[in-house]
Amino acid sequence: MPSLATTRCSFRFTVPLSRSRPCLPPIGQTRGYVVRPGDTRKTALKTPQIRNSFKAKHAPASKKKAFATPPYTPMPTNQLTKSIFKTGERVELELPTFSPKVMNDDSVGRVLAFPKAKNEAMRAFGVPESALHDFRILSRPCSVVRDVTISTFNVLDAAGQKSSRDTRLMMTGPTGCGKSYLLLQTVEYAAHSDWIVLYIPRGLSLVDSSRDYAYDLRTQTYLQPEFSAQLLRRFLSVNERLTNMLKTREQVPLQGRSVPAGSRLTALVKAGVDDVNNAPVVLSVLIDELSQQSTHPVLLAVDDMQAMYGYSMYRDPHYRQIMAQHLAIPRMILQYASGKKAFPRGAVIGAAGTQHTAFKMPLELCEALGLPPPRSTGPYAKRSSDIVDFARGLQNLPVSPRMSVSEAASLFEVWMQDNALHTGQVRVDDELRSMPNDELFMTKYAEADGNPRAFVRNGLLATQSTI
Amino acid sequence: MNVVRNAVHNALRPALRSRPYATYVPPASLKEVGPGQRPWLSSRQPPESPNFYTGRAEYYDSLNDLETSIQHTRAALTSLQLLPLPAFARAAIPPAQHVWQTKQDIIQRMRMTLSTTRYRRLIKLLNQLDQYRRIADVAGVDVLTERIEGVLSVFEKPNKEAILAHGKKKPVAFDDYGRTYTIGRRKTSTARVWTIAVQRPPEEPVEEQNADGQTADEEVLPQMESTVVSAIEYIPPKPVKVTSTNIVINNRPLVEYFPQLADRERVILPFKIAGLVGAYNVFSIVRGGGSTGQSGAISLGIAKALAAHVPDVEPLLQKAKLLRRDPRMVERKKTNRRKARAAVRRPCFHRLRRY
Repeated sequence: MPSLATTRCSFRFTVPLSRSRPCLPPIGQTRGYVVRPGDTRKTALKTPQIRNSFKAKHAPASKKKAFATPPYTPMPTNQLTKSIFKTGERVELELPTFSPKVMNDDSVGRVLAFPKAKNEAMRAFGVPESALHDFRILSRPCSVVRDVTISTFNVLDAAGQKSSRDTRLMMTGPTGCGKSYLLLQTVEYAAHSDWIVLYIPRGLSLVDSSRDYAYDLRTQTYLQPEFSAQLLRRFLSVNERLTNMLKTREQVPLQGRSVPAGSRLTALVKAGVDDVNNAPVVLSVLIDELSQQSTHPVLLAVDDMQAMYGYSMYRDPHYRQIMAQHLAIPRMILQYASGKKAFPRGAVIGAAGTQHTAFKMPLELCEALGLPPPRSTGPYAKRSSDIVDFARGLQNLPVSPRMSVSEAASLFEVWMQDNALHTGQVRVDDELRSMPNDELFMTKYAEADGNPRAFVRNGLLATQSTI
Repeated sequence: MNVVRNAVHNALRPALRSRPYATYVPPASLKEVGPGQRPWLSSRQPPESPNFYTGRAEYYDSLNDLETSIQHTRAALTSLQLLPLPAFARAAIPPAQHVWQTKQDIIQRMRMTLSTTRYRRLIKLLNQLDQYRRIADVAGVDVLTERIEGVLSVFEKPNKEAILAHGKKKPVAFDDYGRTYTIGRRKTSTARVWTIAVQRPPEEPVEEQNADGQTADEEVLPQMESTVVSAIEYIPPKPVKVTSTNIVINNRPLVEYFPQLADRERVILPFKIAGLVGAYNVFSIVRGGGSTGQSGAISLGIAKALAAHVPDVEPLLQKAKLLRRDPRMVERKKTNRRKARAAVRRPCFHRLRRY
């Protein structure tokens, strides 16, 4: 088997590191004052001397340093001394913990907080942006259990005994109905039920040309080394205990080293984490090994999965757009989502994202899921046979666009108890205090028509009325 | 002429009985007369109306009927001491609001020509009778009022109510299903709003616990008696079934039709002020204008509907200016200006700096 080093191309398209996405800040932080690392400047910048007075040449731009730490760093609470911050009135929500044992029909409408373990799936893999926005404000990351949550968990329990070819789901629904949250709950449920979980919370980061990519002649796909390494690191932190029990079947030759047969999967993953250049190969071998074992069920969860079924924002040397199926990681996702490859036990679950208009759900996927087409089409509209092939057999998991009143009421109570609302102001002791009441709840619920995002983010938090 | 003929007939009658040959009647005149019939007593029926020979029987019949009614009404009112009315009582009578049929309407109905003089004479009698009706109405003599109204209704236009209500606010009508249909307008938008009360689910009947209600198959578990002792009697409140207001605009839900929160809040504000969120559902068709105009138009339609469904909230909505059609419209552009108010050139004054 030829060494991988000789088959790699000499050129490499890299994107400057400053454009790479910063890693996730710690979850559970409360409202804080933003301090940028480079803001504490004591002296003024020296202006460059202009020598040629006729035409002043532009001074060389200062090189921007790559952020080693995330740009959003909250101030410690002991520095928030002003009364407006209300440091003395901070509340830590006391909620029951999310656990597979309490999941039954009685817990529909209850808000459960996600556990705070170090190797928590949510903490390691990250969360979608919609959930991140809420978790930055709440004192504890939590979510409400809906009826569709319980039915999804039942499907997952059944899928644990079957091949993943039988359980390939796509969560769909109108914008803001709770697909990303439901997928997050599913990932947490699987992780706490001794599943091996591989979760990609922001599928758009795979295809929006924000990570480096390199063409590989052997696989004839574009590899994404940095993303692969990051994914492996996160996978390891969540599934280390379970991958310790599994062993590789064959020897894996890598660049600079080789992983012998029979070694633990943990060692293989660490080899990919240590060297970015080995990461794509290690990732593909890891997925292959997982698809050959039936000790533990495997969950492959991808948010914004509709972005895999179309064109990416990457360009080839001829400046043509690269299809997502020609990128290594999206291709792997498509292969497992279409049933071409399968885990002996497990499921492939994706959620359709509606925020980015460049990555809308394509016609082929709509037809495979039985959804109405995005615009009026007929038999003469072009359908890519590859995408039709990759979409075959995917089942629709519709998420109801409307929360029930009891679910919305639980969610409202959480935000109210966390002192996060500013409406319903009442003058108490010469001070305006926010005392939300049921009229606020009913009006916001009616305005949102039960839509979760329109109720919380674009309703309770966005309203400018204080009565 | 008739008098002469009658006199002759009376004079000749005894003579003719005894001497049938005394009067000569030419044979041509006897053609239509049957045997044994007297020629001047024809088989023709007597005319229906005594006013037949006026040539305008129906008109004069109407006139006579009205004059008779006026006489009787005057007599009745006088006996009730309602006539003649003192000055202060006459001022208390409401003004006349009559919509009589026009001259053409009466011509068509009576199928004869009518001059203005004769029409005016008819109207004068009608006005007099209407005045007596108003007196009787104010005095509370319902029997008399109804009778006069029966007489006058023959001469009133069929769409009298609509003509009298022209220009006034029509009360909002409820249809068979209890829905209201109201219209709201703002800027150039028009909203047609149908509002219906939310059907509350019927309360579940309390399950009857029969001592002998079990079948042979079921085994009744022994009922445990609670041994908890409590100082206060705590009865947990019954859970209330909460209903929500569903608003559908142009066949789309509110959240989909108005992406902006401000527009959604404007639509819900009438419910919030009235305290009726969750009590009514709304279906609306809105046309014209932009998002602000359309949301304002729907808000006005909803406010009118709530004022009709629950009249008690009308003062609240009035106070919040939700029942007022916002008269602000886009101001026209004027000549020598860029827009309605914006001037073309900003005046710039060159001033010399004084050191």
